[in-house]
Amino acid sequence: MINKNPYLYYSRKILIFILSVFLLSIAVFYVARLAPGDALFSYYGSRVEKMSPKERERAEKKLGLDAPIHIQYIRWLENAAHGNFGISFKYKTDVLEVIKERLPNTLLLGGIGFLFIFILSPMLGILCILHNGKWLDKLICKVGTIISCIPEFWMSLVLILIFAINLKWFPSSGAYFIGREGDIWGRILHLILPMTVVIASHLWYYAYMVRNRLLREIGTGYVLLEKSVGFSKRSIIFKHCLRNVLPSYLSIMAISLPHIMGGTYIVETVFSYPGIGTLSYESARYKDYNLLMVLCIMSGTVVILCNIIAQIIDERIDPRIRESETARIMEVSDV
Amino acid sequence: MSDNRFTLVGMRPVDKQSPQNTKWYKGKPIFSIVLFLIIVLGCLFCELFIPQDPTYMDLYNANIAPCKKFWFGTDTMGRDIFSMVWYGGRISLFIGFFATAISTSIAICYGAASGLAPKWLDAIMMRFTEIFLSIPELLLVVLIQAVLGDANVISITFVIGITSWVAVAKVVRTEVLQIRNSEYVIAARCMGAGFFHILNKHLIPNFMSSIMFMVVMNIRTAIVYESTLSFMGIGLSTEIISWGSLLSLSEKSLLSGSWWIILIPGIFLITSLLCITDIGNYLRDRKKDINGIKRLFCRK
Repeated sequence: MINKNPYLYYSRKILIFILSVFLLSIAVFYVARLAPGDALFSYYGSRVEKMSPKERERAEKKLGLDAPIHIQYIRWLENAAHGNFGISFKYKTDVLEVIKERLPNTLLLGGIGFLFIFILSPMLGILCILHNGKWLDKLICKVGTIISCIPEFWMSLVLILIFAINLKWFPSSGAYFIGREGDIWGRILHLILPMTVVIASHLWYYAYMVRNRLLREIGTGYVLLEKSVGFSKRSIIFKHCLRNVLPSYLSIMAISLPHIMGGTYIVETVFSYPGIGTLSYESARYKDYNLLMVLCIMSGTVVILCNIIAQIIDERIDPRIRESETARIMEVSDV
Repeated sequence: MSDNRFTLVGMRPVDKQSPQNTKWYKGKPIFSIVLFLIIVLGCLFCELFIPQDPTYMDLYNANIAPCKKFWFGTDTMGRDIFSMVWYGGRISLFIGFFATAISTSIAICYGAASGLAPKWLDAIMMRFTEIFLSIPELLLVVLIQAVLGDANVISITFVIGITSWVAVAKVVRTEVLQIRNSEYVIAARCMGAGFFHILNKHLIPNFMSSIMFMVVMNIRTAIVYESTLSFMGIGLSTEIISWGSLLSLSEKSLLSGSWWIILIPGIFLITSLLCITDIGNYLRDRKKDINGIKRLFCRK
């Protein structure tokens, strides 16, 4: 299909993308508002309890919470189209301002973590394959399985216990030393522990996948032929097998990008790291509607976009793959 | 001399494995199964060997390191961790199994329906799963939990169940797409068989083996999920003892330096997770036999 008419192909993808984001926004809007709980609370704090019914009414009107949900949604959509996403109830400033402050922290944590995983997992997978069946491979497999079983929050706690409390090598929380935001060394010190957790909890999943894919590649006919011709193991793996595995690896990493970047909630919470994760957790818990909407749409957009990119990669590799069959299937059935 | 003219040159002798020579337990994760059974049975029948009440707060003996009387020490409220770990396992394992049961049944119904449905409906159903997946999982859980009201064991099970079915549903759908046009399914349809009849008699026996691994892994994920939620304060409260709520106390104990409150329940949790993973891996390896491929690169 991509070769027949590329314009049609890409415009179709874009259409699907826009439609998905639109439906996502409706879903989040409705689910958030249907959940019981007082949204006024996040704006007014405990003052809400003392409000008379009239004051409540006025407050609801002021925040635009008095209309039926579908009218609220249309209003929100209109404003959003003009770039106005409303104010955060808790922080009482523009939503984008609040996010802008926190976003770099998460991008730093998730982005560098992703880069490490992206580079280290094929290396680990290849290392396993080169020593296939020997003790090193078995050791890496065992250790990897054990580490991937450890819940993230527990790993964080143990790391804090060992390195922050007992050894006092790294600080246990925050993103920088108070009052020294520009201090790069301080930032790095604060990043090391959370980063370790992010990398350790995801790395083996992808490394193991690379290992298994390479293993399957090695079982194919052309490798047998090359072996019989007399190529060395290394050159078969690096020049031929790796090349075949790489595209599907890229498509899987495209899916994993939002997964890793957005999956830092727990780590951020345990380390009290001021990032998007803690922010969205708070906004969902305390019904900070406008903030929640923007955060959900933001992460949702990245997820949908990355899925589409992965789909395009997959279809380029193998045109037989039907459009609706995302790479996610390959991911889950494989690992 | 025998006639060698027609034997293939370079053909390797196939090593025959007679079934009698391999022991029944070979390659099976016996250790993990036994360990997991011990944990499960210990949790189920913990009344028999733990006489004291795990909720009993002995304030004189609060925050005591592991010793002879309290094998695993006590927590900040003076509760005995040894008994809490066993009692807590009940709830954690219950949530693990039942949440998986819920998610698997949703996944099978949804996946099979999507696979059997006409193309346009199938496309819509798959789009829906993608939108579902694009909402961050934790936020979804928080919001659904808010709809359900206060967290208890049943509501947590339900929430975890209805948020973790998508991946399995997708695999089910792909499998069903392959089976749906086989003769026996068409024959059954011609005879007027209903959706659930076909599902039970023809589809489930066929795709069960390929989702088994994921289902087992879902048990693991559900247990992790419960503990994470309880830890973050949106799961079970500390009065209901589970591994998660036990661990949720640990943030406080960081300050007092009582390592046993963090480590011991965590090690219990991870041991059972490891056993589940091991069993799951065995189920998967049995399906796709990689051993045949492995042999190629092993020099013997």
